Amino acid sequence: MHKNDMILIVIILIIALIIFIVPKINSNQGNKIANVYYENKLIKTIDLSSNLKQEYNIKGYNGNIVIETKDNMIRVKTENSPLHLCSKQGWVENSHEVIVCLPNRIIIKIEDNEEMYDAVVR
Amino acid sequence: MDLRKTVRLSMLLSLSIVLSLIESMIPIINGIIPGIKLGLANAIIILVLYLYGFKDAFFISITRVFLIGIIRTGLFNIIFFFSLSGALLSIIFMAFSKRFIKLSIVGVSIIGSVMHSIGQIIIAIIYLDTINIIYYLPYLFILSIPTGIIIGLIAKKMLNAKIIN
Repeated sequence: MHKNDMILIVIILIIALIIFIVPKINSNQGNKIANVYYENKLIKTIDLSSNLKQEYNIKGYNGNIVIETKDNMIRVKTENSPLHLCSKQGWVENSHEVIVCLPNRIIIKIEDNEEMYDAVVR
Repeated sequence: MDLRKTVRLSMLLSLSIVLSLIESMIPIINGIIPGIKLGLANAIIILVLYLYGFKDAFFISITRVFLIGIIRTGLFNIIFFFSLSGALLSIIFMAFSKRFIKLSIVGVSIIGSVMHSIGQIIIAIIYLDTINIIYYLPYLFILSIPTGIIIGLIAKKMLNAKIIN
């Protein structure tokens, strides 16, 4: 391998690291909501500002999905799918991150709660 | 275009299609991480790029996408656009980096596999209508490096073995 190949690999790793870190810095603490979509339709909005442990039941394509929230984080606790990718993903807390359960046609997007800011401005 | 070259290019094109089809039948390669594949056909594209230059490699690459569409995945659906945008970006940037950056064949192959991920993420952003998908890019980038190296080494072996001379 050429020396420039090594430089290329390092550059790619740095770019990957930057894209990986930026959302974690940008994410504001508290004031977050999780929007749950079923077949691209918003079916539930969960407030993530409370630290209490809570569970929600959502109907997915392959049966029930249990979503758990705790300490401003959210995860899919149990679900029925071939690879269990979204429950393996574990706790998610940064805004702009997504949990995708394609077999269940469920997408959970974490977003900043902008309505809250509007209320403050008013 | 002389006949010898035409025959060689058509054989390489069919080889790249067969490699794509075989790869899609091996569950180990497709199963470990969803959305990741080795991209054996890209080794052929790199070989053509080094043997005959950008124009022929571009032609082979795009023709391959259309033929794979006809044979297996269907034309002008989302999977087709995923592979078309990946193939376009990858061949353009591979030719560019081969010409203007001093990279070995392995480096050019890494560029190709990284550009495949970028092309597919762009289509995913347009299709799913959310920029959030971009945060999968680091994982794809990191996995592109080993697959790029493997494909580059295969292409290098083929080039040195003078399968076509």
